[in-house]
Amino acid sequence: MPPLTADPEHPTARRGGFALRLAATAIYVFLLGPIAIILLTSFNATTSTAFPPTGFSLRWYGEFFRSAGFTDAFRFSLELAAVASVIATAIGFLAAYAIVRFAGRYRQTAQSLALLPAMVPHILISMSLLFALNFIPLPSYIALLAGHVLICLPFTIAGITASLEGVDAQLEAAALTLGASRLRVLWEIVLPLVAPGLLSALIFAFIISFGDVYIALFLSGPGMTTLPIEIFSYVQWESTPVVAAITTLQVLLIFALGFLVERLVGMRRLMRF
Amino acid sequence: MNRSGGAFGALSAMPIGVLYVAFLIAPLAFFLVMSVFKYDVFNLYKNELTGENFRRIVVDPYYRGIIILTLKLAALTTLFSLLLGYPLAYFLARTRTAWRGALLFLVVAPLTTGVIVRTYGWIVLFGAEGMVNGILVGLGIVGRPLQILNTQTAVVIALVHILLPYMVFPVFSSLSGQDPALEGAASTLGAGRARIFFEITLPLSKAGILMGSSLVFTLSAGAVVTPALIGGKDVQMMGQSVYELVLHTLNWPLGSAMASILILLQFAIVLLYFRRGQRAAAHG
Repeated sequence: MPPLTADPEHPTARRGGFALRLAATAIYVFLLGPIAIILLTSFNATTSTAFPPTGFSLRWYGEFFRSAGFTDAFRFSLELAAVASVIATAIGFLAAYAIVRFAGRYRQTAQSLALLPAMVPHILISMSLLFALNFIPLPSYIALLAGHVLICLPFTIAGITASLEGVDAQLEAAALTLGASRLRVLWEIVLPLVAPGLLSALIFAFIISFGDVYIALFLSGPGMTTLPIEIFSYVQWESTPVVAAITTLQVLLIFALGFLVERLVGMRRLMRF
Repeated sequence: MNRSGGAFGALSAMPIGVLYVAFLIAPLAFFLVMSVFKYDVFNLYKNELTGENFRRIVVDPYYRGIIILTLKLAALTTLFSLLLGYPLAYFLARTRTAWRGALLFLVVAPLTTGVIVRTYGWIVLFGAEGMVNGILVGLGIVGRPLQILNTQTAVVIALVHILLPYMVFPVFSSLSGQDPALEGAASTLGAGRARIFFEITLPLSKAGILMGSSLVFTLSAGAVVTPALIGGKDVQMMGQSVYELVLHTLNWPLGSAMASILILLQFAIVLLYFRRGQRAAAHG
């Protein structure tokens, strides 16, 4: 943990700064502690999840790689997240472009509408998709994929909108005047300029899709079980450190991706609702 | 933009429009309408309108209890998220350490691990052999391990932990948007630190508090996985109840009625938030 220093010139920093720093540190421990505990439990040598762990071993990592249920789910989650994040980024880019450049005075409304999937509890999104499948013969993979694209879109749109705001509209106007088509302007001018924003939106969408449990709760079926669902059904009956090992692998993957996003754009801009 | 621009804009908005209508709005509307149909054991529902489902949820003490418990736990979660989230947001908004970017990342990072991962962490911590019981027994505070899992307290603690980032970020945004000269001026004019905080900083961050609170409240009211794993059979919340009704009891109309109440609650809160926000904007 880096030293937490408050601004010395700020009036509140003179006194009480220490108490604030102490409180902030305690809250960080609360926030990150449980995740640290999981990481430590994953190296436990025994079958219990007791803490502190007894002994050090990698047996639970071995257990994970030997379990077809978990590795299949892991692979399926990776594939689903890859497809969903690409689609959510592409649709989100077009939507964000329409919002920033063409919505005009309806911009506020359009932006709120784009956030719709974030305002409905995710479990209701998946339940209503399951319900629709009863009446419309659609492969359930399509419904699962659509659900994941839906929950990713508010985040990709928010991120890409922030990137697009930094693009000078004059550039596009100049290209149009010189005879470029709209599509060419979008492809050759706008796209390269917002590429870092697109990449971070892609990674963020991937993370959201990969961690989702609510959409998959209703829509995953035989051969289409995502990792969080596999863990969910496992944890309801058993609690061995194998879940901690999987979780550790997942956390490592996600932290690496998250770090990349932070480097590229900064999480703050994506968190803006 | 000219007319061709408008057409191009409409074209760019087409994919999202089709997706939202076909996979979100239409199925959701369809699902919610189910709540006014009669339950049928064999065909999911009967083609007959009824108010019975809503009546049952309000009258039946079992379902009424679930709604009351959901409201109670969501309110407690929101309160404690605010109590923990505000100091953290305040610290992050005022600190000038070079590590601020990293510290902000650490707040969002747990969010990215998914609900299951964070819930699992609390199962490990709260178990009979978990660290919390280990410390309590080790220090001689309790004789034998406490039953922490399967209690309402455990659910609230886990939900606060899971939803805290949703509180910190809006509050942080509204705090870092404030003009620091205001606090300086009040200080120069002789106001104490407590007075500066309660009369300037806190009122000016009201928008962030409202935003964060409505996010945390709605997300905790709709939680399923965390109450199911941490609360067990004894802690039934609305999200879980919808899940049970639809997937296990197979009473779609009743599940749909419960879901409708959940959504109404959600939109009531969002509406409240926007009206408060507008009033705050109007009065400066």
